[in-house]
Amino acid sequence: MFRRKRSAEDFAEEIKAHLELEADELRSEGLNDDDARRRAKSEFGNVGAARERFYRKDRWVGLDRLFRDVRFALRSLWKSPGFAATAILTLALGIGANTAVFSVMNAVLLRSLPVADPSRLVYLRTSNPPKGTGTIDTTQTFSYPVYDALRRQNGGLSPVMAFVPLSNGKVAVRYGAVPEEAEGDMVSGTFFSGLGVNVIRGRGFSEEDETNHASIAVISYNYWTRRFARNADVLGTTLYVNGVAITIVGVAAEGFEGVEGGGSTDFWIPMQSRPELNAWGNPLEDGKTYITNSTWWCLRLIGRLAPGVTRAQAVAQLQPVFQRAAYIGIGAPAQGEKPPVLSVIDAKNFAGYDQMYGSPLRILMAMVGLVLLIAMTNVAMLLMARNAARQREFSLRQALGAGRGELLRQLLAESLILVSAGGALAWGFAETATRLLGRWAQIESSLAPDRTVLLFTLGVLILAAMLFGLAPLRVALAGGAELALKTSAATSNTDAGKSRAGRIIVALQMAMCVVLLVGGGLLIRTLRNLENTPLGMQVDGLVVFGVQPNITSIPEGNAFYGKLMEKLRALPGVESVTVMEERLGSGSSNNSGMKVDGKLPDISNGSSGTVRSNVVGPDFFHTLGVPVLEGRDFSDSDTAASPHVGIINEVFAKRFFPNQSPLGHRIGPDGINWEMTIVGVVKDHKYRSIDEEPIPMAWYMYAQIPITGAMHAEMRVRGEPLAILPSARKALQELNPDLPLIQPMTQRAQYDTTISSQLLFARLAGFFGFLAVVLVATGLYGSLAYRVNMRTAEIGVRMAVGARRGQVVWMILRDSLLLTMAGVMVGVPLAMLVGRALASSLYGVKPLDAVSYLLAVVGVAMVALVASAVPAGRAASVDPMRALRTE
Amino acid sequence: MATQENNDDRIALLQGTLDLLILKTLVLGPCHGQGVARLIQRQSEEVFLVDHGSLYVALQRLEDKKWISAKWGLSENNRKARFYSLTAKGREQLVEKIGEWRRLTRAMGLILEPGNGLLGEEA
Repeated sequence: MFRRKRSAEDFAEEIKAHLELEADELRSEGLNDDDARRRAKSEFGNVGAARERFYRKDRWVGLDRLFRDVRFALRSLWKSPGFAATAILTLALGIGANTAVFSVMNAVLLRSLPVADPSRLVYLRTSNPPKGTGTIDTTQTFSYPVYDALRRQNGGLSPVMAFVPLSNGKVAVRYGAVPEEAEGDMVSGTFFSGLGVNVIRGRGFSEEDETNHASIAVISYNYWTRRFARNADVLGTTLYVNGVAITIVGVAAEGFEGVEGGGSTDFWIPMQSRPELNAWGNPLEDGKTYITNSTWWCLRLIGRLAPGVTRAQAVAQLQPVFQRAAYIGIGAPAQGEKPPVLSVIDAKNFAGYDQMYGSPLRILMAMVGLVLLIAMTNVAMLLMARNAARQREFSLRQALGAGRGELLRQLLAESLILVSAGGALAWGFAETATRLLGRWAQIESSLAPDRTVLLFTLGVLILAAMLFGLAPLRVALAGGAELALKTSAATSNTDAGKSRAGRIIVALQMAMCVVLLVGGGLLIRTLRNLENTPLGMQVDGLVVFGVQPNITSIPEGNAFYGKLMEKLRALPGVESVTVMEERLGSGSSNNSGMKVDGKLPDISNGSSGTVRSNVVGPDFFHTLGVPVLEGRDFSDSDTAASPHVGIINEVFAKRFFPNQSPLGHRIGPDGINWEMTIVGVVKDHKYRSIDEEPIPMAWYMYAQIPITGAMHAEMRVRGEPLAILPSARKALQELNPDLPLIQPMTQRAQYDTTISSQLLFARLAGFFGFLAVVLVATGLYGSLAYRVNMRTAEIGVRMAVGARRGQVVWMILRDSLLLTMAGVMVGVPLAMLVGRALASSLYGVKPLDAVSYLLAVVGVAMVALVASAVPAGRAASVDPMRALRTE
Repeated sequence: MATQENNDDRIALLQGTLDLLILKTLVLGPCHGQGVARLIQRQSEEVFLVDHGSLYVALQRLEDKKWISAKWGLSENNRKARFYSLTAKGREQLVEKIGEWRRLTRAMGLILEPGNGLLGEEA
């Protein structure tokens, strides 16, 4: 379609023929050869122009022009490689970082569950549990009677599925002789069919399997790959979970690793009803499992909306059923008690992920947006500066007949080249950064940048192209053709050096620099505070591991742990040993109200009455290195037969026993008729996590309470802590060969897991803050230096008429300092806003931290000073005559 | 180059005239571009100085409109040259253009020299 009928060569040939014919004729008129040729040519006029006109005739002008513009733009960019490289790299970093964080955010926040039609799935939530119940999570877990009532309602939600882990972490499993650990859940019979997860090999569960508590398991694809190398013979294999024989009957579809965010489930079994396989691995309470214990709200529920039913309808239908079932086995609600209210939330995304990473990622996203904005402004500034310096070129070209449209097209072509080169580089940068970020965040899901990311980045790129293309146009055209008449490069450029738009942008960049420096400063101080938080104990030298024995009676449990501690104490290098029910620094704790001297205390100042508790062994505080302030530690002489003793912390003493010694008072958990006498008060120390605030705590002696189950052993050892593990494993297996060490690690590493997401966030934010500051600083330096360079001629004049060096330098510096002041004045209030937004991510530092602000202002002033002093000094040391001649 | 815009104006003005002159020249028989230029120059008693660049572009334009056709051949002094000849469509156009031109010059004449209707004939 675009093929022309006649080639340019043919046309050129015709013109050549013309010239020859003309020369022939002139010769015949009597001219000599040379003259004839010359005159033929001169009469023809501009051969090139004729050919050009032919060339342009009915060509597809747009494409042709585009090629021309791109070629021209490439040539002119090639002439300033420094500028082109800076612009492209700035863009690549800005856009690349953006894409990377967007990819991670996308993976975490937007990725749906690998199930059929996830938008119809909902998690069930309750406003609160009824009084007198224990929960795993006050709003997310339910009792078995509630589950049972809801699933029998074939109404709005069909089916309602329950799932509950076999342990708070990993559970002991065994295939042959060697014990190992895996993550397992007990689930409804409708679990796979209801979620719409395919079982790719073997079969899933049926409702009969749930009723019969069938001893069968479906394993995850990931676990099948990891543990069995995708061996097809895995079906029929016997798996011992806590010693119970279970047969593997199926493998779930690839990508499905359970509906709990964060962790990945290795196997699922139908709901069981036996002491070894209680929910959460808990010991039986009064001989009751989670099925018979109606006061233990421990099951998570997920449901599928029935076809044509809205969420509101489903909730309305289930509400009365739920509120009735909530009190099964508890008795009537107390006078004035608010009944629990059922609600449902979107199960489309991993709820846990959003909680853990959602808010930090959104802040990161904002930071990265800021970085991108800075990068784009930088490039716009660079382009503007460059085009202002080229004003004479533009004027000249306008004078020579170039239309405004042509200048516009050329500017657009230049920015398009910069943006596409920057974009291509950014893509590579993003690929790498996404993978690194994913590894850093320990997100196992695949983190390839996907289509959404591509579209997002493209949008940003197009925006960038528009912005860069148009920003310099005003400056370029402002000159007009008449500027070419001004002969001096120096005079034509002074205006550019002082342009108001330029000043405003420099000031804004300074403001952004202040904001980022403040934000970065706050986060870096948070990072340092987190890493250096005193735990209130001597954590180094402690090593911890879990033990999950099958214990059927209290004496058996006491005997087992007594023997275990005895064996461990005997190991060379071990200084002291204790046991505990909740592992320190695992993020979870037992919370309840606590009776003091027989009744729930009235707390005068309105603080919470909630008390955290743990069940621990002898020498507990001595082993941890927590100072005992009053009274004593637990000891081996506290037994099941001796009087019940308990220990509390400082906060407990201050809140419940103000102005008196707590020793000798009796305390006990709410709802159970069981009491112990306080025999010690210990110093506050970190329990669940590093960033927690002190809260009242009470410790029970393990040998005296009516439950014994899985515990964690804590050892203080000399030398390398983990070196003790092989001998500890041997000691444990002498007692029971089926038992593995569960998640053995140093206590320090265990605590560090509680701040890993904060550390990750602070490090990422610090990284982006640093990137942004580098970008802003280079941009600032570039534009200030450019502004000063533009005034070289002016400086020459001033020095020629007698200005001293110092005066000239001061004149330049004063200008920059004024800009800095303006920038700081805008930046500080903005930084305060940012600080407020960051408040929830800060630790041990206030959003209005004076030091961070001061350092930020000083930092910006430094950049401004260096950026202006260097070129000012250079300008002032130039020979005035040479400066004036600068052309 | 500074007067490029004016240049463009002149071409626009000449365009119709040049087309007509070319067509008229070719009535006599096939001719190459240089010959057309010479003929126009001579027949106008050197009043018209033909811009050769414009001439060739005009020739190309007429060819595209299929008013004239072209093929490479040999000139009387054995030079390779591109010969243009009038097509049937070209002849029709010529008649039409001459009519237009007569009306135009007559009208111009009526305005510039009232009472002298012969001016159109002379041009």
